[in-house]
Amino acid sequence: MANRGEIALRVMRTCRELGIATATVYSDIDRAAPHVRAADEAYPIGKAPPRESYLNIERIIAVAKRAGCDAIHPGYGFLSENADFADAVVAAGIAFVGPPAAVQRTLGEKTSARRLAAKAGVPVAEGTMQPLNDEADARATAERIGYPVLLKPAGGGGGKGMRVVRSAAELSSAWRASTGEATTAFGAPALLMERLIQPARHVEVQLLADAHGAVVWLGERDCSIQRRHQKLVEETPGPSVDDALRAKLGAAAVTVASAANYVNAGTAEFLVAPDGSFVFLEMNTRLQVEHPVTELVTGLDLVALQLRIAAGERLPFGQDDIRRTGAAIELRITAEDPFTGFLPQGGQVDFVREPAGPGIRMDSGLAAPLTVPTDYDPLLAKLIAWGPDRATAIARARRAVREMVVAGLPTSLPFHSFVLAERDFAAGRYDTDYVTTHWSRPAAPEITEGAAIAATLAGIARLRSRPRPIAAEASPWSRSAREDMLR
Amino acid sequence: MRYAARAGDRDLVVELTPEGRYLVGDRVLAADLAETVPGRAWSVVIDGGAHEVAFLGADRVWVDGDEIRLDLADERAVAAGRAGGRAAHARQEIRAPMPGLLKRVHVEEGATVNEGDALVTLEAMKMENELRAAHAGTVAQIAVAEGTKVESGTLLIVIRPE
Repeated sequence: MANRGEIALRVMRTCRELGIATATVYSDIDRAAPHVRAADEAYPIGKAPPRESYLNIERIIAVAKRAGCDAIHPGYGFLSENADFADAVVAAGIAFVGPPAAVQRTLGEKTSARRLAAKAGVPVAEGTMQPLNDEADARATAERIGYPVLLKPAGGGGGKGMRVVRSAAELSSAWRASTGEATTAFGAPALLMERLIQPARHVEVQLLADAHGAVVWLGERDCSIQRRHQKLVEETPGPSVDDALRAKLGAAAVTVASAANYVNAGTAEFLVAPDGSFVFLEMNTRLQVEHPVTELVTGLDLVALQLRIAAGERLPFGQDDIRRTGAAIELRITAEDPFTGFLPQGGQVDFVREPAGPGIRMDSGLAAPLTVPTDYDPLLAKLIAWGPDRATAIARARRAVREMVVAGLPTSLPFHSFVLAERDFAAGRYDTDYVTTHWSRPAAPEITEGAAIAATLAGIARLRSRPRPIAAEASPWSRSAREDMLR
Repeated sequence: MRYAARAGDRDLVVELTPEGRYLVGDRVLAADLAETVPGRAWSVVIDGGAHEVAFLGADRVWVDGDEIRLDLADERAVAAGRAGGRAAHARQEIRAPMPGLLKRVHVEEGATVNEGDALVTLEAMKMENELRAAHAGTVAQIAVAEGTKVESGTLLIVIRPE
């Protein structure tokens, strides 16, 4: 398991159920992390910065050989979409749990994926079909297709390094930022440009393909609720997707996968306009963070299927065998302060209470005590709720969010509480602008007088018993940032 | 001892009597507190109403499922606060809101900045975050050079108001 956090735990759980022994890797700072504790074997691979540990191909392969691994699961992020890693794994005589390197190269370079989709007859957004040469090229392209436009790293997905450019005046600074982030995240500064489609919903289709040419799709997920082009809430079925649109999206996803000779689990991402027209965005050649919502409505274990496919087995079912029951919602609980524009925060978690009960699944990398480093993705845990219908799933998620306590650093939980009680979300009326339009000036939650008195009395008791300042969180900065710096 | 509190959107004054009872306004409350996680969480039962409180960090408090801010001061601090008051928009001290790498400084000392101008780019958790000027002014000081790793709270830039 060449990853950390909740996804490492998620994958190792399925391995254990299947009787497969697990080995994992860890950086210095993760020595006591939950994934190390859960694995059968764990090996150190270097210092905290990803380049020296979780992105270090050589060391990970050496560990896998030493541990006698038959297969490597890359999780998401880190090396999961790195074709050189997939090549190195196979060259070491180990199975890679994911699509072959050649497929990753075709789909990983986003303009090449756009060309493939367009050639297969799947619509793509107006924009560049080759990476942009330089800022002047970007400027000329933006003039041609018309502002607003979207700058995207050509070398990778997941929303990192993406910038909306609304006018010519914003282009230079957006170009700088995107190039910088693309280099940091993907090791390549190349960018592409697309016309911004807005309002739009981000709807994606889960795919499974075996090495014998069979491709199935398992339904869609609406992931429109995002900040900085990164998802916060995902659900299935998509509240705006009717049967006709679902069938069209599924067929388009299968077309792209077949054209790319896709193997293993993958996700085709689309933008859907209010009139139901859609464009293909990109293919994520890995297990997605939000895969559990699909698991809950289909009853399938996507990791188990990934392992079978990687072992060369055929898909054990066809498209007509797939049944979807009820609705599921996932909330990404991140180490980010929703009151300061979702600024990521590291820190020390010293108390955690996770929810349980009917319809609730927690995929969590949380523990107490736990050091949350700033070196990695801020995702801490995923709260996933299932219900026989959307209203029940929302009610369960809302109840569960209110049970959850994470002390020691700010989390996205207050945002999730807000969303689940908000009218437009409840009605399924939202698009990719939701965070901007609904959370730009978050109000303090209204609490009862009893709750206010209880908080005050506990605060007095705490002051009088042991006035212990919480060093992990410096209050003046979070407050000044709240008020001044990031508006 | 008397305490003044702002809990979420509610203001209240609580007096703790020498007998250990709580006076809220002119009401005496039968409140029963149990510390459930040492220093972190309390169960509070007030006249049969059961509440749960957890201290999340700094002034962030979790109560019955909601995350609120709790500002709590005893009588002396309240009096001192009234005398002092708050200076509006003195100088802006731009500090790192999180640990990270100071990737770029977009301004020079002595430069004039407008409200909303990007001052520095701070890279943390693989994201680049631009910190902006809250008000117009002059860059009085650049405290940290580009390429420096900074801790949360490190002073980066000082802006003098116009």
